[in-house]
Amino acid sequence: MKRRNFIKKTSAATALLTLGGLPLQSFATSEKKHITILHTNDVHSHIEPFENSHYKYPNLGGIARRATLIDGIRKENPHTLLLDAGDIFQGTPFFNFYGGELEFKLMSMLQYDAATIGNHDFDNGIDGLYAQLPHAKFDFLSANYDFKNTVLDTHVKPYKVFVKNDIKIGVFGLGIELKGLVDPRMYKETVYNNPVETAREMSRILNEEEHCDLVICLSHLGYHYKKEENKISDLELASKTKDIDLIIGGHTHTFLPKPTVTKNIVGENVLVNQVGCYGLNLGRIDFYFDTDKNIESKGKSIIV
Amino acid sequence: MKKFIIHIFIISSLLSCKNKPPFLTKIEGKQLPITEGIKSKQEIEDFIKPFKESVDKEMNTVLSYTPHNLVRTDGELESSLGNLMADLCYLKGNAIFNSRTGKNIDFAMFNYGGIRAGITQGNITTQNAFNLMPFENSLVVLELSSKKIEELVYYLITENKAHPLSKQFNLVITKDGYNLKINNKPFDKNKTYFVLTSDYLQTGGDNMNFFKNSISSYNLDYKIRNTIIDYFKENDTIKVTLDGRFMKEK
Repeated sequence: MKRRNFIKKTSAATALLTLGGLPLQSFATSEKKHITILHTNDVHSHIEPFENSHYKYPNLGGIARRATLIDGIRKENPHTLLLDAGDIFQGTPFFNFYGGELEFKLMSMLQYDAATIGNHDFDNGIDGLYAQLPHAKFDFLSANYDFKNTVLDTHVKPYKVFVKNDIKIGVFGLGIELKGLVDPRMYKETVYNNPVETAREMSRILNEEEHCDLVICLSHLGYHYKKEENKISDLELASKTKDIDLIIGGHTHTFLPKPTVTKNIVGENVLVNQVGCYGLNLGRIDFYFDTDKNIESKGKSIIV
Repeated sequence: MKKFIIHIFIISSLLSCKNKPPFLTKIEGKQLPITEGIKSKQEIEDFIKPFKESVDKEMNTVLSYTPHNLVRTDGELESSLGNLMADLCYLKGNAIFNSRTGKNIDFAMFNYGGIRAGITQGNITTQNAFNLMPFENSLVVLELSSKKIEELVYYLITENKAHPLSKQFNLVITKDGYNLKINNKPFDKNKTYFVLTSDYLQTGGDNMNFFKNSISSYNLDYKIRNTIIDYFKENDTIKVTLDGRFMKEK
């Protein structure tokens, strides 16, 4: 199903044709649907809460607490996706000792649906990441890293379409440029492709070919670079693309007072969010749908 | 929590028939802090426990002993911890380099900022090694031209900081310049030097640009933290002195 045809004047004819094939009943009744997206980023192997004596984050965080919180939300709305925006690895001895095994096993127990790859996820080399994949019961998504000539070939997908409550949710991943950030011996022949071009292609595929109702970008590009205006970031990406509903970010460890509402290339609203780091917060975005055809004229509201 | 409501009305007069449900009507976003008020899920805690016990046991393993506090701030242009780090890395690194190439490293140099924590007088544990070197950097040997060594000296003099240097490197800042000896021999402008450092500094970290574009480089594939741990395991008491390897002429 598609809801975006109204902004694509050029595709009006196609849309009408598609509509012609639909049974009339689709318009007869109104049904409300609710999708919840939960997300983390830059957890950096922080499995336990910070110590009580910690100077900045005393007794905050902890994956066992996050599990309780997520369980509660899933009970309230079973149509929930749980995503991570990368840098799962590196930051506590758990990573030094087990190479990410515990992180992946715990994320699997929490039933993460997908994650993208951060620069620190290469800290034990691409082989170190590959070695831990059997412990992850969730998908790794990256559309702009080309792993063709590496061990990760076929193990990382550009995107995945989830169906929750008959709503199609397309999620694609984007990674940061590794050159200059990660030792080339670590990422080997991973090819970094332009995130903007990749995102445009992904949004086209997810909207036009996969007919998603919701498109989410899982990004490790960073929220915004004040001193480097031209460096690609989530805010830059949002302004240069369209038909993406939500960008979940990471890398810059940005704590936002609230999710950012910004404009895309055609002036529509896009939500950009990031929840700091170290598992201190869980991001929650709720999407409400209505099948009543009259509802559309009333517009949508964003409450942050 | 404050809520900001932004209503976006979409003009759809011409288009209402061209859409298909479901329509997105509302988006709500918020951040949920993970605080002590949230009870930990027992199943997760139980799963973590054996991993944690194993990590803690390893971390608390006593590797060595130091009769003095080891810090980076007890000298003017050198320090007990800096000297120790540079000397132990030279010792362990040169053994590998020599066995693989038949050549010897001339000296070792790291950065002051790379010493992340001191070691208190008493037992030294694995935890101390992790605190001292939390990063995953490895040792690398770089062959530098004499011109690059001069840049290195200029950097040390302008920085005026106790950057870790191994004992083979003796630099005295004099009234009218400097006096440099490497391995007890005067600095030779017609020679290249093998310098041991980290792969972080090799790429110009901490503005040590003289390490970039070396004549040749040799990665020892030996993590600095493991080098430190191995040295501690082999030495039951750590002896270190301030010997004036980098100083100002009095």
